Amino acid sequence: MIQWLADFFGSMGTPGLVIWTMLKIVAITLPLPLCVAFLTLAERRVIGAMQSRCGPIRVGPNGILQPFADVLKMLFKEVVIPARANRLLFRFAPLLALAPAVAAWGTIPFSENLWLADLNAGLLYIMMMSSIGVYGIILAGWASNSRYALLGSLRSTAQLISYELAMGFALVGVILLANTLNLGDIVRHQAGGFWHWYFLPLFPLFVVYFIAAIAETNRHPFDMAEGESELVAGFHVEYSGIVFALFFLAEYMNMILLSVLAATLFLGGWMAPLPFFNELPLLGDGFLWLALKVAGLLFIFLWVRASFPRYRYDQIMRLGWKVFIPLTLVWIVVVAVAVRWSALFGGGA
Amino acid sequence: MSETVIDKSGWLNLEINGKPVQMPPGSTVMDAAQTLKVFIPHFCYHKKLSLAASCRMCLVQVEKIPKPVPACATPVSEGMKVWTRSEVALAAQQSVMEFLLINHPLDCPVCDQGGECQLQDVAVGYGKGCSQYQEIKRVVPGKDLGPLVSAAEMSRCIQCTRCVRFGDEIAGQMELGLIRRGDRVEIVPFVGETVESELSGNMIDLCPVGALTSKPFRYQARSWELSRRRSVSPHDALGANLIVQLKRNQVVRVQPFENEAINECWLSDRDRFSYEALNSEARLTRPLVKKDGVLIEADWQEALPLAAARLQNIIERDGGEALGVLISPHATLEEAALMSRLARALGCDNIDHRLRQQDFSQDSKNVSWLGMPIADVSQLKAALFVGSFLRHDQPLLTARVRQAARHGAAISSLHSVRADWHLPLLYENVVPPSQLVTALAALVVAAHRETKATQALPAAFNEVTPTEKDTAIVRTLLAAPERAAIFLGSFAQQHEHAALLHALAQRLADDTGAILGVLPEAANSVGLALTGAQPQKGAQKGGLNARTMLEQPRKAYVLLHTEAPFDVAQGSAALTALRQADFVLSLSPFRPAEEGASLNALPDIVLPDIVLPIAPFTETSGTFINMEGRVQSFHGVAPPLGETRPGWQVIAALAGLLDQPFAETTPEAVRASCVPSADSVKARLSNRADTVLQALPKAAQKTVERVAAVPIYQADPLVRRAPSLQRTALAALPKVAMNAALAARLNLIKGGAVRIRQGNHAGENEVTAVLSWICDETLPANTVRFDMAHPLTAGFDVYGEFHLEATP
Amino acid sequence: MNRLQRFLKTWLLLELLSGLGLTFRRMFKPKFTVHVPEEKTPQGPRFRGLHAQRRYPNGEERCIACKLCEAVCPALAITIDIAEREDGSRRTTRYDVDLSKCIYCGLCMESCPVDSIVLTRIYEYHGEQHSDLCFTKDMLLAIGDHYEAQIAKNLEEDAPYR
Repeated sequence: MIQWLADFFGSMGTPGLVIWTMLKIVAITLPLPLCVAFLTLAERRVIGAMQSRCGPIRVGPNGILQPFADVLKMLFKEVVIPARANRLLFRFAPLLALAPAVAAWGTIPFSENLWLADLNAGLLYIMMMSSIGVYGIILAGWASNSRYALLGSLRSTAQLISYELAMGFALVGVILLANTLNLGDIVRHQAGGFWHWYFLPLFPLFVVYFIAAIAETNRHPFDMAEGESELVAGFHVEYSGIVFALFFLAEYMNMILLSVLAATLFLGGWMAPLPFFNELPLLGDGFLWLALKVAGLLFIFLWVRASFPRYRYDQIMRLGWKVFIPLTLVWIVVVAVAVRWSALFGGGA
Repeated sequence: MSETVIDKSGWLNLEINGKPVQMPPGSTVMDAAQTLKVFIPHFCYHKKLSLAASCRMCLVQVEKIPKPVPACATPVSEGMKVWTRSEVALAAQQSVMEFLLINHPLDCPVCDQGGECQLQDVAVGYGKGCSQYQEIKRVVPGKDLGPLVSAAEMSRCIQCTRCVRFGDEIAGQMELGLIRRGDRVEIVPFVGETVESELSGNMIDLCPVGALTSKPFRYQARSWELSRRRSVSPHDALGANLIVQLKRNQVVRVQPFENEAINECWLSDRDRFSYEALNSEARLTRPLVKKDGVLIEADWQEALPLAAARLQNIIERDGGEALGVLISPHATLEEAALMSRLARALGCDNIDHRLRQQDFSQDSKNVSWLGMPIADVSQLKAALFVGSFLRHDQPLLTARVRQAARHGAAISSLHSVRADWHLPLLYENVVPPSQLVTALAALVVAAHRETKATQALPAAFNEVTPTEKDTAIVRTLLAAPERAAIFLGSFAQQHEHAALLHALAQRLADDTGAILGVLPEAANSVGLALTGAQPQKGAQKGGLNARTMLEQPRKAYVLLHTEAPFDVAQGSAALTALRQADFVLSLSPFRPAEEGASLNALPDIVLPDIVLPIAPFTETSGTFINMEGRVQSFHGVAPPLGETRPGWQVIAALAGLLDQPFAETTPEAVRASCVPSADSVKARLSNRADTVLQALPKAAQKTVERVAAVPIYQADPLVRRAPSLQRTALAALPKVAMNAALAARLNLIKGGAVRIRQGNHAGENEVTAVLSWICDETLPANTVRFDMAHPLTAGFDVYGEFHLEATP
Repeated sequence: MNRLQRFLKTWLLLELLSGLGLTFRRMFKPKFTVHVPEEKTPQGPRFRGLHAQRRYPNGEERCIACKLCEAVCPALAITIDIAEREDGSRRTTRYDVDLSKCIYCGLCMESCPVDSIVLTRIYEYHGEQHSDLCFTKDMLLAIGDHYEAQIAKNLEEDAPYR
């Protein structure tokens, strides 16, 4: 049906294309907040379970409506703008945080032929978008006119920049293997069963990438930017109500985005783990597999949060600069040598 | 006290708990322990009282004595070895504690002493923690000891007899005693009597348990929730040091601050219980402004500019002399100094604080004082009091005199009434007021003859023949040079020939070598004289004094802490003067007496036009200079009540509105500019009279003469409003006392009343009062006594002619 | 050897993995949550909930205004004013407990010589404004009157252990 719709709008020329693209954007951006909503519910339930308690179970059957209750609460709360804050930037900052988090989804391939834009430099685009998000945080900290918020945003930025490097190096390994920046092509390179997926040859890079992803999204145990015990809530300490919800949304969307990216780059995207599954109905390559992989990765996000205490700031910096960057560099060399070697002597990686 | 080298030869060496100490012979183990700061538990022992050794709590072990001995009653001996915490001593102390607790009720939770109870503390520190006593505890019925001391729970008494000894030794009145024996023993007042001593409050402090507690403080607060702040008593010129105790910023109790130089560890009841007036209904919390003859509450913003404007009007119209400023001698130095400064800036020198004086002819620059440090009074060997109501005017100084008398001092009195000071008087001369000068002159002549002094007496003295008693009195003074004193009391200072009496006393002192002392009447009399709160001699035209200010009515009056008819001698003159004045401004912490209050001698009380509420002594910083010239500054201990403001602030604000602003804005600055240094005070204190002795006045021929004291609990606005003090026996309604001969002449019948009539100085506006009368054979002939400053008698001129007649 | 072990332990993230393992296993264990209000935890006789003031069986209030509770209260939650009643007994004219200050330590109860102030088992109460949580003497006496049976039982059960 998707193909049919694509053909139908394609036949209408440029206006059709615009409408089709708009439809696709809506189809991607509408479910995202919903995913975020249920991710928060899942987070509370999972962490609850890991701490031998229930989590929210009162709103709706088994707590299923809790996210909606939260959203309603957020909507009805007053937006307080601190005195002497920069009112324009204060309101602009959450948008600046949210917009890149949404925009990055443009080049994600959801299945063989399901994407918004098949961009050749897709990976670069995503990297770019996820880096822009930090401006929102910086602005939020600055515009709040609060020392806690400013400190939180500075920490957050420093952390983001440090781990962006390690993450970028981790991705270089993928690019070396796939020889392309097109996400679709990267996935197609991993076709043919899970032993072709990149997480095996690039295992250290995969681990580094995932940890960096946790750090990038300011999640536990790297949530220095929020640091309740010392900074109250970090850069968004002055935000309340729906404006705060935007930051919240951005953080969780980033989480999902980085999980999707991890699944795409290292876990074979929409590919089924065994080619055999393609013979069975419904379990063939496709969106379902991507969703399952993303869900698994998100679970690890929550699991890590439930398990580890917060790092100290200097420890985070040490880990980023002194461990991850050298480690990725070394592994890139190893990969490069391996790729070169296999190109020289035949055989495939 | 200066550092004196103590000769320790002949002192005894002993050891307490292994620590060596030297003590003079005759001291006790307890003294030695206190020198070493070793605490021995005790109840009956008190450093200011005689030894009883009845509680046995201070048992200690002494080497070579088989049984434990009481530390308070065991004299030290050479080589003695004492252990206060040895097994024997501890066992003895524990057993004694157990015995003491046998009959002591376990009602600490409802006992007012709880938290500051010696028995509690010692039981915790030295007791056993359990009792073997299973039987029924004894119950002792409560006693009624008057409105100040509560003895409702006498079961708590441990028979230490501190209260009994206090009454006997310090208060001079043995009002409590110990009756029966064994477990029936109890402390009782004499049958049908209560405790009436003016020092009774000290029994509350002395009682180590909760048997004697403060009645006004009963069930008010716990000791641990009180904040304690130091202050100075505003009543008599002793300047007793106080610990004012507050709960939630309200004064709820006053206790003595121990100062050996002034009040030792005692307080008079007046100092202790006058706090009740501080938070009473009588306090004024907002300014009052008279509208259509009625005082109505107003804002400061309204009252203060109005007061300034009306003063300004009168001064512009009639000049500064049209103003009269009457400052109570109970006002603080700062208030009086600023008020005097303001008045002089307005061109007015009619300022005075000597409100009850009538003879101002001795007007030297010197400031009269006690003539010696207060502590030296206890060391006197001989003293002559001329016209002193000592016990009512200076209750704690009386205790000092009593102490001297107990040590053998020869105390004599020359007065118009018998002295009721509760101390053994060697000689007493009671003469009618008009004869006082002659009687003192007789002493001077006696001294002249005894000493054969070279300086001849004026011819007028030839007519005076001293009696044998006079000679005897002079001999007591001569027997103790350096340790003898002659004191002029309030009656002598308020006498119509006060200056002459002073000069005579001076001559007597010169001839006998005794010290001349003047007993100032109020807390700050010395201070106000020093600060110039009286007409300045040498000003172009000396201002009017308190007496002439009222006799020559002014257009406007400013009263600082002064309650017109009560605090002045010429009650009716004051009423007339204030009534005719265009404007009367009163600065007072209290509401003026209500119209129609039970003042039947004051049918038409004068209400001030504006009353500004100023702080009493607890709510303002201030300074009093006491009778020995000691400058005692204090801070406010509580925040001003309601919209009350410290007096100096109000005066400063008034000065600002009158375009005479003061530079000082803080209490410290005011103190710095108003309070003289201790050295400059010393330099100006002198009792040397500048009146030259010449003729003696002829005794005026009055048919009936009057003696009037200021009752102890009517002396100032604060005590007048202290309800518990007003219920005491000493605050009873004034009575007219006279001897039987005079009563018979007036046809008075026993149990009847007497009507007193007095036309005021202008012969109009008759003042009358009906009082009951009592027969007092000790009064001289043709002399009646009825006290002043009471609502019933305040309207009379103390020195004016009056008429007595019998009424049914 | 030790260094090798440490190297492997560090780089294979063994400790982190064992931590993750612990939380993962926990996920499948039974939960401790007590579902208030359907379920309630059991209470002992020493449970320290809402305050109450007791009376003697003849209706006379127990409190004798000794102020020990006020003195011992570490949170300064108790305010007492006292005065002599007409019959001469020592009574409180005001006995306020500020529940928003109270830390429910029970020292007031321990210090009371007449078992007047007690902490009951009531813990489900609320106030919509601060003043709702300032309990006066009348309120405390009312609570005591209402729950006297339970309070007496608590004290009796706890008595052997005091």
